[in-house]
Amino acid sequence: MKIARDTWLLFHRYTVQMLRNPVWLFVGFSTPLLYLVLFTPLLKHLSSAQTGSSATVIDLFLPGILALLAFASGMAGGFGTIFELQAGVIERFRVTPASRFSILMGPLLSGMVMMFVFDAVVVAASAGFGFTIDWGGLAVLVVLLGLLMVTMASFSVATALVTKDISSFAAIINGLNLPVLLLAGVLLPISLGPAWMRVLAHFNPLYYAVEGARALSIGAYSNPAVWQAFAVLVPLCVVVVTWATGVFRRAVA
Amino acid sequence: MTDREDAITTEALTKSFRTRKGQVDAVNGVDLRVGAGEIFGLLGPNGAGKTTTMRMLTTLLPIDSGRATVAGLDVARQPQRVRETIGYVSQLGGADELATGRENLQLQGRLYGAGLTEVRPRVDELADLLDMSGFIDRRVKTYSGGQRRRLDVALGIVHQPTVLFLDEPTTGLDPQNRANLWEHLRSLRDQGTTIVLTTHYLEEADVLCDRLVIVDHGQVVIEGTPRELKRRVAGDAVVITLREGEESSERGMALLGQEPYVREISVAGDKLRLYVEDGGAALPQLLRILDHEQISVRSMNLSEPTLDDVFLRQTGRSLRDTGPDGDAPPESEVAA
Repeated sequence: MKIARDTWLLFHRYTVQMLRNPVWLFVGFSTPLLYLVLFTPLLKHLSSAQTGSSATVIDLFLPGILALLAFASGMAGGFGTIFELQAGVIERFRVTPASRFSILMGPLLSGMVMMFVFDAVVVAASAGFGFTIDWGGLAVLVVLLGLLMVTMASFSVATALVTKDISSFAAIINGLNLPVLLLAGVLLPISLGPAWMRVLAHFNPLYYAVEGARALSIGAYSNPAVWQAFAVLVPLCVVVVTWATGVFRRAVA
Repeated sequence: MTDREDAITTEALTKSFRTRKGQVDAVNGVDLRVGAGEIFGLLGPNGAGKTTTMRMLTTLLPIDSGRATVAGLDVARQPQRVRETIGYVSQLGGADELATGRENLQLQGRLYGAGLTEVRPRVDELADLLDMSGFIDRRVKTYSGGQRRRLDVALGIVHQPTVLFLDEPTTGLDPQNRANLWEHLRSLRDQGTTIVLTTHYLEEADVLCDRLVIVDHGQVVIEGTPRELKRRVAGDAVVITLREGEESSERGMALLGQEPYVREISVAGDKLRLYVEDGGAALPQLLRILDHEQISVRSMNLSEPTLDDVFLRQTGRSLRDTGPDGDAPPESEVAA
């Protein structure tokens, strides 16, 4: 009850702050649309024979963008934390009796809801590019993307609290972003790559999220990629959120 | 409840940090006793351990060893109860810049568990108390330094805490705003709030604090009311600048050191620095003695002791000039 109330208060606070920041809103909306407009045309000549499935190019590409957005917006979460750490905001909250879990989750959930709004815009735009929406699959996909985003954001926020300064934090996040994204087949399926890449990908949680997202977006619930994605992400999310809450509880700022 | 209740007690409080240069004992065995309803100062140079002490008392940093209670609650064992009881204003403040002062205060009040119907009149009350009505509905981004600091204090007291902690509350404020804030803090104290503040402004500690400790290298150097501390320094400080060189200084020191009312005397170049019981009475006598021995005086300077003299006596350094290496330029500021 208290946790729910505190989380709501902080969720509300962060949402209002974001909506009052026009630059942030503009970038939030334009990034996914840029992917769609500037990347999809490049895939026009990639036939379904080459990708090894019967799905159209947009069917493969859109779930990749959605997973990429969830991953990247989660990983960027810690930048706000660094700023708030240096501005004394986090300390101000930590000295109140507000639940530590809520101090972590308020901004994360707020970021997640904003992400879903951006997602909705991209999905609607993709329909114009020929993407067929499977509503049931989309509903499960929302859960999967939410899990992915919360996991990455908790990781990012906790890393920010531990490193405390922008340069080492940015180095860690950027250093992780590129290999994780490339080894997940975010934009093109990893099945196009050589054997060693396919083996390495199986150690990458994002790979499972992307594969699961692809299956769900075409409504293929029975595809093993779906349960595998949840089997990887649910425990990972629990572990990372627990760790991040612990970091908040200990003295860090 | 008795009025001599302790708002804060600490016993042998310690905190050390690991840095690249090795272990730093930021707080090294601090014993404090703060009475309920007083303004208590932690005074000391930068890096003395003031902020670290305060951060342990406010549950922001775990205590390495020792014990601390705030309002009768054990800080290490009952952090949640302590948080409900105290207010804290950090050096940074940390208000949301994109929100208005009122929105900030409402959120803060609600995080302390109050409902919106209780918070609304409380925010109006605070706006009155701290003269914020003119700007409370503007976004914080547009505030001046003084306005921001008042909002920070308001955020710290929105839930009417028993003990209020302020870390360098007036740093960066002009004298006018500083004096205003002091007034606000005194009226809070008069309403029964215990206030603990850190400062490196001597005047602030002197004028504002009921009692204070001077902290240096993580330890309490001296404790008392500003008046007591200054009296303990051994009366008034007299600086005599002589016309002739070192030889006459030595002679003057030997001569004046014999006088019963001179408690302490030291020499630096052509200057004699003395602590005497009653400066006003001592000046003519000192002058007569030197005159009699034909040691001619260029100037004489009498000053009541300041907290800086207290610090100087205790640590051999001046609080005003403690740089990173802690060296103070010898006597340069007392030229007559």
